[in-house]
Amino acid sequence: MTEDKGPEPSFSRSSVAVRTERAYRLLLAGCALLTVVVTVGIVLTLVQNTAAFFLHVDPWSFLAGTQFAPFTAGTYGVLPLVSGTLVVTVGSAIIALPIGLAAGIYLSEYASPRTRAILKPALEVLAGVPTIVYGYFALVYITPAFQALPIFPFSAQVLAPTTVALGGTEHVIAYTFVVPPLRTFNALSASVVVGIMIIPMVSSISEDALSAVPDDLRDAAYGLGSTKFDVSTKVVVPAAVSGIISSYVLALSRAIGETMAVTVAAGMSPQMPYFPDVLRNFTDSVQTMTAAMVQIAGAESLGETHALDAMYAIGLTLFVMTFAFNVASEWVRQRFREVYE
Amino acid sequence: MADGPFAADRTREQLRGAAFRLGLVVATLLGIVSLAVLVANVLKDAVQPATADPGWYAVVALGFLLPTAVAATAARRRPATWTVTRRALGALVGGLVLGALALVIPRALDPYDVLVYALGLVVPTAAVIAYDRVGPDSPWTGPALPLAAVAGVAGAGLLYGPLRTAVDVLAVWVVYLLLVALPVGAGVWAVARRRFGAGRGPRALGAAAVLVPGMAGLGGLFAPYDPVLAVVFVATLAVPTVLVVADALRGRAGAAGLLVPVVAVGSAGAALAVADRLGLHGPETWLTWTLLTENFSTISPERAGYYPQIVGSILLVGLMAVMVFPVGVAAAIYLEEYAPSTGLAGRLTQLVQVNISNLAGVPSVVYGLLGLGLFVRLAGQPRGLLYAASATLGLLILPIVIVSSQEAIRAVPDSHREASYGMGASRWQTVREVVLPSALPGILTGTILALGRAIGETAPILVIGVATSVTSPPSGLFAKATALPLQIFAARGEPDPAYRYGVLAAGVVVLLALMLSMNAVAIVLRNRFQR
Repeated sequence: MTEDKGPEPSFSRSSVAVRTERAYRLLLAGCALLTVVVTVGIVLTLVQNTAAFFLHVDPWSFLAGTQFAPFTAGTYGVLPLVSGTLVVTVGSAIIALPIGLAAGIYLSEYASPRTRAILKPALEVLAGVPTIVYGYFALVYITPAFQALPIFPFSAQVLAPTTVALGGTEHVIAYTFVVPPLRTFNALSASVVVGIMIIPMVSSISEDALSAVPDDLRDAAYGLGSTKFDVSTKVVVPAAVSGIISSYVLALSRAIGETMAVTVAAGMSPQMPYFPDVLRNFTDSVQTMTAAMVQIAGAESLGETHALDAMYAIGLTLFVMTFAFNVASEWVRQRFREVYE
Repeated sequence: MADGPFAADRTREQLRGAAFRLGLVVATLLGIVSLAVLVANVLKDAVQPATADPGWYAVVALGFLLPTAVAATAARRRPATWTVTRRALGALVGGLVLGALALVIPRALDPYDVLVYALGLVVPTAAVIAYDRVGPDSPWTGPALPLAAVAGVAGAGLLYGPLRTAVDVLAVWVVYLLLVALPVGAGVWAVARRRFGAGRGPRALGAAAVLVPGMAGLGGLFAPYDPVLAVVFVATLAVPTVLVVADALRGRAGAAGLLVPVVAVGSAGAALAVADRLGLHGPETWLTWTLLTENFSTISPERAGYYPQIVGSILLVGLMAVMVFPVGVAAAIYLEEYAPSTGLAGRLTQLVQVNISNLAGVPSVVYGLLGLGLFVRLAGQPRGLLYAASATLGLLILPIVIVSSQEAIRAVPDSHREASYGMGASRWQTVREVVLPSALPGILTGTILALGRAIGETAPILVIGVATSVTSPPSGLFAKATALPLQIFAARGEPDPAYRYGVLAAGVVVLLALMLSMNAVAIVLRNRFQR
């Protein structure tokens, strides 16, 4: 009396389907792993070629050398290039950090949703313009506009030569405030365009941090009779300070790695920092690390120099610096984040 | 209220609050306004608006802008009409751009070569698809598709000699017919099938979209016109325009919308003719056709153009898209849909994720060093080849593509996936049939934005040694590359101010226009498919 039920129904997938799934998973995982390969590739290429460079050039003379003249004197001191990079980074930070934070506060605390919907993408455009275009702007429009200002050059005697008797001996002290003339290639306009470029980096990340501050804190402060100004500056900004600093560090990292705008605007004269004549650092031409790499890559003939290897040594220095900044930014964000429940 | 004991305090508080707010607004606008001023300056230098007669502006404003604006405002009142207007404008502008690209790119690379490699790409993949439809179930047909495509192109390279001899028999316009009209016909067929369902109608439409350009090309044998031009523009411009017009007339709802493009084109022609007749001349602009058709010249600024650089940039970005898109999307799918999140493997996934965000922070010039080290110093290739430049820039935007694709995939609601699993679909089936279709617009938007960023990148390709003194567009994957931003960089030192304030300004405008049009495509895509 057995009924013919036909073949036993199977609830497991056919082996074909299982194998298809496995094949796809492998293919996709391979693509994801490619990103790790890229990182390893970057590090290996940089390290290997830098090692080749150090076979010919003493590492100390690279790291501590104060003269960079690969084509003429065969000296490869990286310090003037680091100095140039730092000058432009500091200059752009002076512009972008306060402006970016102010924009972040405005977008997060003051702007209506409609205004924010317009201003946020408009700010992002600043980071989307090709950097070569920023370089062109700096060279062709900003530098001539600055040169037309009466403050380049400018000098004013702040303190006339005065004789001061100090401990029995006489000293003549004098101070003249000097703004040197602005060169065609200068770090100032490079700083301005790099500053404009990194504003959105600061504004968008710090805005995220500011909006993440819970409304309870704002309400509590309002309840105590605070004004909007007080709430913004004394409650919200301090509560979001880790995110703000993280955005600063990230923006600085971006400024350090910036290439075309600084190459076009700041020129190619490696320079140790001027001191105490600090303003001259900005009015004169400097060469950043990135600009030096562009110069070496674009050179007609490198002859018997080790310039191409030097490019990798500079690249590794740059990579280490930006990597350190990126890691620091993430660390600040994690370490000092205030968690509200 | 005004004169309580704290009145002075309150006024001071209010003033301080208002001043703070004003400061914030100024700071927010400062960067945007500076950029706007700079762009306005470069536009002024490139267009030279002061060199035109005031009367010319009057004629253009009254004869062209006014009627066009009136027509557009009228069309906007009814949604159906406005849809037709947008479609018609899209067909016209898109057709022109597509036609120009379809003409210029094969010409630069040699159309016969393009045909050889296109055959190498299409024939094996089509064979695999056919086998999948007809043959027995096999786990390998799906994953075999991309491999077949790669192997097919490589095979075409190996068999280049005999294949090239075979296609050399064809007339040039037939080659363009195969390269341009055939894909257009396939597109028409696909769109029509989605609209009307499978059947004879869509197939006939698709066939017509190929046959009509073919007739236009054939006509070149008897009449004195260029058959290649005819084939390309009939396929890319006339076919979509006719289809849009026919569709609008059939629907009747918004057929009046067709008048807007007619008014725009007609009034522009009329206004310019009237201005010419009255002896009014327009601005002596640097934005001329010379820019798009000539080589860069360091001798005569009037004759300097960016033709090789523009084509070079487009090829660079196109090749990059082909390389980066599949890899980036696949990586994003793996990370979002497959990667384990717990245990040792989960740690590994997290590492990959951190690594991707770190890669996005590596300065672009360092990618140039990677490219130089990989393709030139390690592989021993000459410096500055197209494929190397493309791959280098591709690696640069890979993390951006992955991250934006991940965001798009994450935005697909889990309920869709669960519904798909509930019906017994496997993970890959869910990804292919459910997740990818709804994430695709977002993925495309992110990818196009990334490609738009890459078109302005200069540093990496400069470092891998792409030459600035190139007089012809790249003729193949292994030919010398060139790019528009590179020429702007190289020409910054020309002593003649006509370069600095004219040719360079025009080049910057072209570069920005290229970027903006890519961004516009991305925005249109996003708006169209946003749910």
